[in-house]
Amino acid sequence: MITAQDKILHVANKLGLTSLKDMQASTGAVYDVDTELSGLLFTNSARHQNPGITNITENQFEVNEALLIETISFYASSNTHRPLNLQQQLGSNAIIVFDLVIGNKRVMKDTPIFASGSPYTFASVGQRLQGTTSGVILQYFPRHQVYMEGAGILIPPQVQYYVDYRVYDIVTGDVLTLPENRSLGCYLFGTKVLLNFNTSI
Amino acid sequence: MSQINKLGFVDSKLGAPTNGQQTTRILFNTIKVPGTTSSLTFFKNFQGLSNGQTNLTQNKLDSMESMVIKTIWLAQLDEENILQVFGATLQQTVSIIVGNQTVVKNLPIQFNQGSCGQAFDRLHESGGSSADDVDVRTEPTRQVVQPVEIRLLTDIVIPPQVAFEVRIESNNSVYGDGAVVCALSGYGKIFSAGNSF
Repeated sequence: MITAQDKILHVANKLGLTSLKDMQASTGAVYDVDTELSGLLFTNSARHQNPGITNITENQFEVNEALLIETISFYASSNTHRPLNLQQQLGSNAIIVFDLVIGNKRVMKDTPIFASGSPYTFASVGQRLQGTTSGVILQYFPRHQVYMEGAGILIPPQVQYYVDYRVYDIVTGDVLTLPENRSLGCYLFGTKVLLNFNTSI
Repeated sequence: MSQINKLGFVDSKLGAPTNGQQTTRILFNTIKVPGTTSSLTFFKNFQGLSNGQTNLTQNKLDSMESMVIKTIWLAQLDEENILQVFGATLQQTVSIIVGNQTVVKNLPIQFNQGSCGQAFDRLHESGGSSADDVDVRTEPTRQVVQPVEIRLLTDIVIPPQVAFEVRIESNNSVYGDGAVVCALSGYGKIFSAGNSF
């Protein structure tokens, strides 16, 4: 069984990153919202409010920092940048089809995220009792994520990454326009390597 | 054996390339206006489907690509943006055929879903509850059922350039005038000219 640390060290070794093994292993997530509705996530993060819209200042990690992506998830964002459930905003027929690109390489290809709840999400069903005019009902708030099978994919230090996405209606096949004042956000979550100085500077 | 080892083992047995980009792959295919039928076959017809309805153009992976099927996902959607119970809770079975071999045979999907659903094990429970008294026609964003999801207990490989399909059988299940969708997901490899990240 390959662990997250094994995978990071394997890729670092392949890329000749000899000092990555001395850095601090941690847990991390990066997020960004496509407020420009450009179909690209993370590419415009430098222009976004931090941490309201994103928690990165550019779409690459600094020297000796890296992220092993183990989960990718999507959410809708309001005009005040509050995360919202995709299914609640777009309905169950919506589907996001995305690519993940690291450097000049597409590492995830035409991957679907179903608004009605993607594969891998049955173990963490979100549900709540909601008050309505007709009474209290039970409804699902599906998760919209891909849990990476295997050991994830590494974003190495100082290599640009982005997510390229399109939104469709799966019944009609047409491109779906997001509702007014709504945009799409994305989390990349996994094992993080943080820069660690062994000597003081 | 992990999915990674299983895929490497089968690829090497078949003499398939093993140096692609490791990734997670989700293949999906849609059948539009399925109506009432006893048999559905996914990954057979790609004509007239957009990129939002399938991510393949033929019923096989490219020459440098392969994947493990670990999860089967099924959903029935109507034209009003509402997720329905797949096949209206009638007993249905799913079979997966890879090449000339049946690799999942008549697996009951209702076993794993709906208000009477049973989990295969403690982790593999699909959404089981629904709120029947909700009028989702007036509130289409309120989802009250879950898609079908079956996590397989073994790793099944789709090798490069081998045709595959998913068959659903029933006794005249009602699938409606919207669409039904099938997704297969798991660890996979896609073509890569260089090293893996």
